Amino acid sequence: MAASSKSSIYDQVVKVTHVYLGPAADRFIARQVENHLHKSPDELSQADLLSLIDWIKVVVSLLTEDNDLIEEYTNELQKLAGKRTKLKRS
Amino acid sequence: MASKQQTAQLTVQALQRACGLALVYAVLILVLPVSQATIQTYYLSPLEYRAILFIVSLPSIVAWIAAFIGYAKLREYVSLVRKTPEGTHLDKLATGCAWLAWSLPATTILSLLLNAIANQHPAFYSTSIISVNYLGLLLPLVAFSIIGVASRGLVNLAKLRLSRASIRVIMLFFLAAGILYCYLIFQRFDMTSLSSTQNPYFLPIWLMVLSVIVPYLYVWFIGLLAAYEITLFSQQTDGVLYRQALRLLVLGLVVIIISSIVLQYINGIQPRVGRLMFGYHLVLVSIFRLIGGSGFIALAIGANRLKKIEEI
Repeated sequence: MAASSKSSIYDQVVKVTHVYLGPAADRFIARQVENHLHKSPDELSQADLLSLIDWIKVVVSLLTEDNDLIEEYTNELQKLAGKRTKLKRS
Repeated sequence: MASKQQTAQLTVQALQRACGLALVYAVLILVLPVSQATIQTYYLSPLEYRAILFIVSLPSIVAWIAAFIGYAKLREYVSLVRKTPEGTHLDKLATGCAWLAWSLPATTILSLLLNAIANQHPAFYSTSIISVNYLGLLLPLVAFSIIGVASRGLVNLAKLRLSRASIRVIMLFFLAAGILYCYLIFQRFDMTSLSSTQNPYFLPIWLMVLSVIVPYLYVWFIGLLAAYEITLFSQQTDGVLYRQALRLLVLGLVVIIISSIVLQYINGIQPRVGRLMFGYHLVLVSIFRLIGGSGFIALAIGANRLKKIEEI
């Protein structure tokens, strides 16, 4: 159960990212998790999500100067973090 | 996956090659015998002739340096995504662009060499013109065939269907341009003798049709279709940031294909004379070479942005 929950977090992050980075989304998120959180993608947990979002915000700001787009992307990820926290509490 | 250092090395190597070829070209302008016909027509000294030849060649040199940077940047990006589903097709696209990039200096340098020989040995003149004409056809033929296979692969991968209306527009444009091309070419032939080589191309009309006109029409159709297919692919791809970068790459590629087709068209209807001549032909060729060069720059910027997404 725990394993599927972990992979599900990763998949959901990739799903949100796909809207912004298309076919590069999976590779992008895997790289952020490995390089900044020093974990393999399937080890991504709920506790890592906020830290990952912070890193993504920094990294995406190097790809675009469109602050509205960065804000929209990170808000979508924040929603994901919030949703998962609520799910955990319930 | 290639390391950052290895990928960056590709552009450095390509730039070195382009500059090396530009140097070879400049040296050839200085050492090869001048065209007496041009000198007499425009009352130039040999030094003035060489200086002017170098100046009018500058757009070509700029274009081929841009072309080498463009294909190297695309190669750098492809080296990062080669193992992905679209990687195989992008790899082919990069190969096609490399052929197009190499076709620029290859045609220019070989043309300069053969024309210089023809200036010294007039019996070689027709061979020189025929060889340069075939080289000008052969390299884009290979390049566009590879680009065509790549664009088809990308469209199939994304399971896209070409719209009937768009295909009709392409066909209409292709037929109009093709028929006009044939009309303008045939005007230069003695239609009473099918085997006569007394024309600016030094080929009998049947050979001209079979080995030049038909392959050119094929190249242009493949090129136009590829331009449409890769545009369609870039419009349908997911990811706002990814699509922005991809669109720039595709815009560059479309500009390269269209400018290359226009240059082939101009060089077809206004046959090569094997020496420097001032006129609208020279101006048009220079303009479209620079447009092609700007296409390669857009390709390089797009590929660089895509590469950044894969590296960061």
